[in-house]
Amino acid sequence: MMEELKKAILEFAEGSKKTKFYFKDMEKAVSEKVPGAKMREVKKAASELVMEGVLIYFSTGSSTMYGLKGRGMTEDPTEGSE
Amino acid sequence: MAFEPKRPVNKISYQESRIYSDAELKNYTEEELKNFKIKHEIPMLEELEKGPWPSFVADAKRNALRRKKLADDKMLIDREGSEDLLGVLEQSFVEGETHWKHGGIVGVMGYGGGVIGRYSDLAEKYPSVAHFHTMRVNQPASKFYDTDFLRTICDLWEYRGSGLMNLHGSTGDLVLLGTTTEQLEPIFFDLTHVMDTDIGGSGSNLRTPSCCIGKARCEFACIDTQELSYELTNYYQDELHRPAFPYKFKFKFDGCPNGCVASIARSDLSFIGTWRDDIRIDQEAVKGYIAGDIKPNAGAHGGKDWGKFDIQKEVIGLCPSNCMAMVDGKLTINNAECVRCMHCINTMPRALKPGTDTGVSLLCGAKAPILDGAQMATLLVPFMKAEAPYDNIKGVIEKIWEYWMDEGKNRERVGEMIQRIGLPKFIEVLELPPAPQMVKAPRSNPYIFWKEEDVAGGWKRDINDYRTRHKR
Repeated sequence: MMEELKKAILEFAEGSKKTKFYFKDMEKAVSEKVPGAKMREVKKAASELVMEGVLIYFSTGSSTMYGLKGRGMTEDPTEGSE
Repeated sequence: MAFEPKRPVNKISYQESRIYSDAELKNYTEEELKNFKIKHEIPMLEELEKGPWPSFVADAKRNALRRKKLADDKMLIDREGSEDLLGVLEQSFVEGETHWKHGGIVGVMGYGGGVIGRYSDLAEKYPSVAHFHTMRVNQPASKFYDTDFLRTICDLWEYRGSGLMNLHGSTGDLVLLGTTTEQLEPIFFDLTHVMDTDIGGSGSNLRTPSCCIGKARCEFACIDTQELSYELTNYYQDELHRPAFPYKFKFKFDGCPNGCVASIARSDLSFIGTWRDDIRIDQEAVKGYIAGDIKPNAGAHGGKDWGKFDIQKEVIGLCPSNCMAMVDGKLTINNAECVRCMHCINTMPRALKPGTDTGVSLLCGAKAPILDGAQMATLLVPFMKAEAPYDNIKGVIEKIWEYWMDEGKNRERVGEMIQRIGLPKFIEVLELPPAPQMVKAPRSNPYIFWKEEDVAGGWKRDINDYRTRHKR
């Protein structure tokens, strides 16, 4: 199940036109691909992908989004593509 | 009951962990400070040093002078952070616009909060603050520290950061202002492994819970706010560090309706200690107040002669629900009408105390104006017991989160969602019964729309028949 969720997250992230996205949008896309996936499980899978260095968090300080590492953003926002 | 940490905690000794000697901490004279000029002209900021109050400008200048005189190996980020910080602020004052960009992907491994990326868009002119990230450190419950902890964290931040900090941010954390990306992991290591603390919440996380001084120092506390704050901070670690909410979510805990942390206005879920039995009255002490033997307000506001204490004028006549009276020389309270305003208890604390059957009221949805206007919290649960392991409270919290994560829009606070869907729908989802305490004027406000299945016998209604008599 965990691997299935991770795969669905990556498919969503790679297919997304946006370089950063909200958890809710990611979770919605994942639950369409993996029916019955619970929100907490999706979160756990996303956290594992962050730990593996595949996903990154993007935070404005007040809200947080997810993104694919190496796509669109670097640690210096002046160097990113957006 | 004595406090029991969930696991053994490190004893911090400043003498063992200190980085700076006393001479390095005070390495300048007041005369030097008086003559010290930072490298930028800051006439507008210097106006803020005038007047009776302590000034952050004066503090930043002290910091700049001390860092100027420290040896190179005594700091790991640029020594001129304070000077450039003041410089960029002066420029913003002149131009009327900010030169800070915030946000980014900086953080510590595995955490989605606690570090807020800050960058100046004038990096060439103010290079020391080009990357100047903020770290939030989870404060202990009620912000009780020992000096070893405070000195150690100050040394750590002087060494690996700018030395500038804000105690405390609005949410409650210690806010460490200004460091570079490469220092984040070493600071995090020292905070967690040496100082046995953690970084706080930011972004779409549960934010660092915060509480009043509670039973540690206050006789009015109806609940152990520190215990509850500590328990929920530990229990919801995943929510604190790994963001999955639509937006921020804050807990705050007030031990009584005096609300010293103003949870009712400042938190998405507000916990306020209360009681459901009667206010305890010591009639002898009431007589003592009336006779002038005991000072009202525990002696507060005593710097002026207010005249003889008048219980009718100062207490009974000010009761918002008119539930107090003197009958045959005794103070009586119609407790069913008491709205917990605390005024009588605050005025005569020797004579009146909260009841002994204590618990908590839960209120939901307060927020400051970011996307929508400010709003106060709405009462959800008038009373519930607040005793370890707090399963009843956790049950309500998780139902709120589950629904908000499902139905809330991106960047929509739970209070805004309640406004959008309506309180009746929200309490129905939480399986909470409607209560008259939820509205200001329950006798005239039709806040509950009954459904047919809620009413014995139900009812039949033909909308077409109705429309023959009532046009749209």
